[in-house]
Amino acid sequence: MLIKLIGGILIIVASGAFGIGMGNKYGGRPKELKRLRILLQMLETEIIYGATPLPFALANVASKADNSLSHFFQDIAEGLIRGSFYSVKEAWDKAVDTSLQDTYLGASDKELLKSFGGILGASDSNDQQKHFKLFYKQLEQQEDLAEEDRRKNEKMYRSLGFLFGIVVFIVLV
Amino acid sequence: MINNGNMSDILKYMPANISSILVKLPDSIVEHVEEVRLRVGRPLIAAGSGKEYVMGSMGWLEAAKGEPYIVTVEDIKSAVQLISNFSVYSVEDEIRNGFITVSGGHRVGLCGRAVLDNNKIRTIKDISFLNYRIAKQIIGAADKVMNYIIRSPDSIYNTLIISPPQCGKTTLLRDIIRQLSDGVERYSFRGRKIGLVDERNEIAACCFGRPRNDIGIRTDVMDSCPKAEGIIIMIRSMSPEIIATDEIGRREDGEAIIDAINAGVKVITTIHGNDIEDFLRKGSLESLRKDLFERIIIMSRRNGVGTIEKVYAENYCEIYSA
Repeated sequence: MLIKLIGGILIIVASGAFGIGMGNKYGGRPKELKRLRILLQMLETEIIYGATPLPFALANVASKADNSLSHFFQDIAEGLIRGSFYSVKEAWDKAVDTSLQDTYLGASDKELLKSFGGILGASDSNDQQKHFKLFYKQLEQQEDLAEEDRRKNEKMYRSLGFLFGIVVFIVLV
Repeated sequence: MINNGNMSDILKYMPANISSILVKLPDSIVEHVEEVRLRVGRPLIAAGSGKEYVMGSMGWLEAAKGEPYIVTVEDIKSAVQLISNFSVYSVEDEIRNGFITVSGGHRVGLCGRAVLDNNKIRTIKDISFLNYRIAKQIIGAADKVMNYIIRSPDSIYNTLIISPPQCGKTTLLRDIIRQLSDGVERYSFRGRKIGLVDERNEIAACCFGRPRNDIGIRTDVMDSCPKAEGIIIMIRSMSPEIIATDEIGRREDGEAIIDAINAGVKVITTIHGNDIEDFLRKGSLESLRKDLFERIIIMSRRNGVGTIEKVYAENYCEIYSA
């Protein structure tokens, strides 16, 4: 009886943890999108007011970001400084594909990010500012969608995990 | 520190398509290349020592068979990113002036659609034509003219160099500066303090404020600074004995030079033109004409780049003719 009880509790905990994990995925995405927007605002300041050359501006932003997003900016900066790319777009696209794997960002977020790489650094500061403004709008929309997803799914997955565990427990016992 | 001026220095500012073609040129030609031209939809052309090399995808067309390599819009876009260190916004002023100086003092001229703002060029968009110009320092380029410029062991004549583009005017000026700054033993001339106002950053080729070319041990450089303002700042702050600057043309340049001469500073400068008449015709430099320059050197490329055609002394009297 005791063994059954312990097994049952383990099932509930495991299933609950899985549910929380799934829920976190939905919770992490809007947070990351917001952090990304703040980092891009720093990049904009470096570009518009500091006129810092892009590779160094990206490196500065990377130093202020935390882990996964920091890798993203750092990888682009290093690629450009090393001279392994012939355009920002190449470096940017590659980093979107390889450096963002540890994040909660989805395919549509990455698609949106890629659309920005071709513009960055390629025009005068007036023009850059306009592109940044537009991109913030698009990012905000993406954030809203992600937030809606979170509201719908985060709680559901969390409770679903526990409920599933309890159902299994009842059926087995 | 001395810059040998070789085409290979600028390859890293070109897209892979283009640099991979140019490296196929034999070393003997690479040494002489002065310009590499990219024009959208037109063949890639390198030029130097009066010769042109139309490039095909396998190398120089006359040596390797095939069609000429046609430069694409993407090539130019990528080139602009590389030249501007991926930051067009950080070189807005340079673009407005039509060229960007890259490390090593090489200059890339650019052309496209000018965007105006109050009748002034705000920026150049849709850049479609690029001209990579390789900067070369030739030590001793001024040996032939030093005896005309030096007046006494511690003074020189106010000198104007008149030359069409591409005749070695800047190279000559750079070597004059170097010799006057270091001192010239042959004429027992002692080195003088020189204030160099290098608006287009061609003479000293400064990178982060440090000259890449040898411009002598007593030379102070203000780079990328408008000439008129730079000259005044130099006189006030660095107590130069000689002011050197390149390609004067605007009215305020002329006025600043008069200020310098009135302050007892000697001046060496250059101007675009074919002969002395061209200088006399320039309306914006009216104030400069009256005998301010004690020596006028006319250059051409009749016997190769850097030919000295004539030297005039006061009252436009000819004292040397090639």
